[in-house]
Amino acid sequence: MKRKLIAAIGVAGMMIGLAACGSDDGGDSGKKAGPDAYKGQTLTVWTMSGSNPDGWTKTVTEEFEKKTKAKLKIEVQDWNGIQQKVTTALSESNPPDVLEIGNTQTPAYAKTGGLADLGDLKKEIGSAWADGVNQPSIYDGKQYALPWYVGNRVVMYNKKVFKDAGITETPKTRADLFKAFEAIEKKGDAEPIYLPGQNWYFFDGLLVGKDVSPVKKEGDKYVSNLADPKVAEAMDVYKQYQAFSKAPKDKDEATPQQAEVFAKGKTGAVIAMGYEAGTAIKANPEIKDDIGFFTIPGETADKPEGVFLGGSNLAVAAGSKKQDLAKEFLKIALSEQNDGALIKEAGWSPKNDAMQKYTVGQPAAEAAGPAAAKSGGTTPLIPEWAPVENPPNPIKTYMTLVLQGKSPAEAAKQVEGELNKRLSQQQ
Amino acid sequence: MKRSLFGRIWPNATAIVLFAALVFPVYWMFSTAFKPTGDIITETPVWFPTDVTFEHFKTAYHAPNFLTLVRNSLTVTLLAVAFSLIIALFASFALARMRFKGRKGMILVFMIAQMAPWEVMVIAIYMLVRDADMLNSLVPLTLFYMVMVLPFTILTLRGYVAAVPKELEESAMVDGCTRPQAFVKVILPLLAPGLMATSLFGFITAWNEFPLVLILNKDPEAKTLPLWLSQFQSQFGDDWGATMAAASIFAIPILILFVFLQRKAVSGLTDGAVKG
Amino acid sequence: MAVQTEPSDVAKTAAVRGQDGKPPVGQHGGNKRKPGIGAAPYLLMIPALAVTALLLGYPLVKNVMLSFQNLNMGQLIQHVTEWNGFKNYQEILTGEDFWRVTLRTIVFTGVNVVLTMVLGTLIGLLLARLGKRMRFTLMVGLVLAWAMPVVAASTVFQWLFASRFGVVNYVLDKLGWHSMAEFNWTGSQFSTFFVVTLLIVWQSIPFVAINLYAATTTIAKELYEAASLDGAGVWKSFTSVTFPFLRPFLYATTFLEVIWIFKAFPQIFTISEGGPNRLTETLPVYAFVEGVGNQHYGMGAAISLLTILIMLGLTSYYLRIVLKQEEDEL
Repeated sequence: MKRKLIAAIGVAGMMIGLAACGSDDGGDSGKKAGPDAYKGQTLTVWTMSGSNPDGWTKTVTEEFEKKTKAKLKIEVQDWNGIQQKVTTALSESNPPDVLEIGNTQTPAYAKTGGLADLGDLKKEIGSAWADGVNQPSIYDGKQYALPWYVGNRVVMYNKKVFKDAGITETPKTRADLFKAFEAIEKKGDAEPIYLPGQNWYFFDGLLVGKDVSPVKKEGDKYVSNLADPKVAEAMDVYKQYQAFSKAPKDKDEATPQQAEVFAKGKTGAVIAMGYEAGTAIKANPEIKDDIGFFTIPGETADKPEGVFLGGSNLAVAAGSKKQDLAKEFLKIALSEQNDGALIKEAGWSPKNDAMQKYTVGQPAAEAAGPAAAKSGGTTPLIPEWAPVENPPNPIKTYMTLVLQGKSPAEAAKQVEGELNKRLSQQQ
Repeated sequence: MKRSLFGRIWPNATAIVLFAALVFPVYWMFSTAFKPTGDIITETPVWFPTDVTFEHFKTAYHAPNFLTLVRNSLTVTLLAVAFSLIIALFASFALARMRFKGRKGMILVFMIAQMAPWEVMVIAIYMLVRDADMLNSLVPLTLFYMVMVLPFTILTLRGYVAAVPKELEESAMVDGCTRPQAFVKVILPLLAPGLMATSLFGFITAWNEFPLVLILNKDPEAKTLPLWLSQFQSQFGDDWGATMAAASIFAIPILILFVFLQRKAVSGLTDGAVKG
Repeated sequence: MAVQTEPSDVAKTAAVRGQDGKPPVGQHGGNKRKPGIGAAPYLLMIPALAVTALLLGYPLVKNVMLSFQNLNMGQLIQHVTEWNGFKNYQEILTGEDFWRVTLRTIVFTGVNVVLTMVLGTLIGLLLARLGKRMRFTLMVGLVLAWAMPVVAASTVFQWLFASRFGVVNYVLDKLGWHSMAEFNWTGSQFSTFFVVTLLIVWQSIPFVAINLYAATTTIAKELYEAASLDGAGVWKSFTSVTFPFLRPFLYATTFLEVIWIFKAFPQIFTISEGGPNRLTETLPVYAFVEGVGNQHYGMGAAISLLTILIMLGLTSYYLRIVLKQEEDEL
């Protein structure tokens, strides 16, 4: 389910704008002896449903099997119950060799000792990645995973609806955007924006924009920071957006899938990930030519709205008996070429500036770029964070309460207990 | 005694309303599964499908490993039910017909065993199975499903055994049968409807179970149908046509079995076993 | 399908049945031979007791042990045992969540059991009154509802009550209740419980109704005739003949329904995952969310044990009756 995909992609403090030159693994033959060293072995890789598009999977599998003579078994995992699944799998004598782990979960799993140290491999193939992209994979100074993909939200809009309402230029500031919404509302044919009350990652972006975190440190413990007035300001922006929508205040963007609502052509815009266009087109192929994207505008034209940078990493299970083969796989899966192909196919953001070139012709990725570079942020990069996002996420409850009329202070007070409880959960 | 017109009409009228209410969800499942998507996602529901499509069934059927999952589910369910019936037959005979020390305690054990909240014991079970190196196998599943249904099977069969008149057994023994022979020749045939009725419960429980298989068997080849159904739903989200097709496929074996066995069981209960 | 009534009840049934021609049977006739000879009963019990001990008892003991441990992701992955005494229990019992959930579970079980038993009994009695064809029709409906696998049924109910394109909302809207047009059933505690209750009652009624009906067919007509000779009306003959006869069946069925509904997990979990805002969590769902969902496995084990204790408490009355009957038996 896409919603949970979005949920697992967490945290990536990234500042694209670093040096370039991707690492090419072409010349590396590994320290392993003969070319047939891995023959007859099978490498098991767990990816999350929706992460690996067909084209990328095919290329990587062919490349891997040709180079190592081993078999590659990619098992796509369902999001339901994935945490218990990963935890138990890591405890077994025969775990999957490579696993995809969302950014928000990575620190927690790194702490358990279930993941192998990939420091050397990072030096070998990942020296060019932007620090921010790599940050979530590091825990306690060690590299426990390698970044696979990153992405952030944009405005996906219906060109026809905007044009019919007389809007010719894409909005550059928040005020412009709200004006455009007003025009669509006045025209009366469509809902200006479909934004349910619990699009928490959009709200996290707004928090990033206000430069405030949902948690703060008190002594050696993390506690709720929802009572901070800046959180209330961010929530107020959300409320202004939400006022243009008839979407339910107590649902998130996946119930129903916002892209499917958008696909009906009666919606001006949604705050969405690039790949959601695919969902919309699948639901209604006719919508294809009407879909456009632009960066979520900020208060001023020079700085886009804050965005949550989501992402996912690939890790090697510490208990895997095929450490070397797993590393061979990572070298291929994360080569610049295959990263580029993934960006092109799925619309993710590049891992550094030099890779911007792969976004050409990918309108969603092009729209995502500026915000990722200038105003991207994360959820807190602490192991204590993971339980907060287990359903029912108390921050989502906070959002609904405010939208239903409670004052931000009251709402913050109401959910603080649950939030603190989760932050102090025994590890 | 003649009943008034009203007295004759209201039971039938009530029965019709009840029938409609009881059947509607099942009907809606099947009819949605056969409707083209356009007739499903519509402001005005299509009550009776006019265009029939098998598209949704194709989507559901083309899930990877579908046939393996069907085989796994059938294997686990049938074996679990069969084993529990055999074990329960012995136990229920002893409990219904014999006097011995500890009998009461044993009955209590099975009544309490019936309350076991299996869903929340999954981690304990997982750790035991993991440490025995039996993950991704159908054997532990079969065994645990067997125990899940065993208490109910024992306690229910006990009622059926007790309902078989002792005289029949005794006269068989007078005729020279040993007690085991008497059991096989006289009691067992009379128990057949009871066995069928009891097995229904076992079928449903084992066929439906998913928290345990979710955690024990991660290998896609070792999964069962309930996992397929719940994952199917989360993958396809709002594709109600395909989801209902999957639910139909899942429900059909049980529905057929039920309609078939239930008639025997009820008629067995009412005309057979008790009359002797 | 028979409920787990006491052998004596069924024997009584048989005895009553015996009046249509065959000699009455029951416990009076037996016991000429000593029934339990030496080790036989124990040998017969061994397989059942052994598998129960091994496959239920042992996990249960393991569960008890886990409940005294601090067991989270790290400990599970590293196979570490970290004893922490009564800390899990202390945390659960001193928090208000657990008590709130317990109370909610008891109310939820009570409401569902009462609805199921009352409606099921009425339908069972109705079955007895219907003509042959109508009874068959209604029986088919009952069997279909009964046979729907829970996982499939929960999915179907989600679709029936879907806020967009769900047929229930459409009908309510057409009936003039326009605010229900896009009503979100899982948006509030009450409406979520409403849907779950409907699902559970729908699936539980057939068991009660069919059993009750089966039981009524074993009541000999002569008893009613005797009653009406004594001048009893419909109500009187119900209270003096039908009800006393059905009482053991009602007890046994209620006991089973209490257990089944108290334990109802897939229904709630599929429909709402205990939401909104954890307001529809019953004890099993609470244990699952805390234990498995939040990966607080030791805590989950402790909650599950408390759940078992509460269930024992709720059913102790019936268990006592049964044990007493057993004493009188044989």
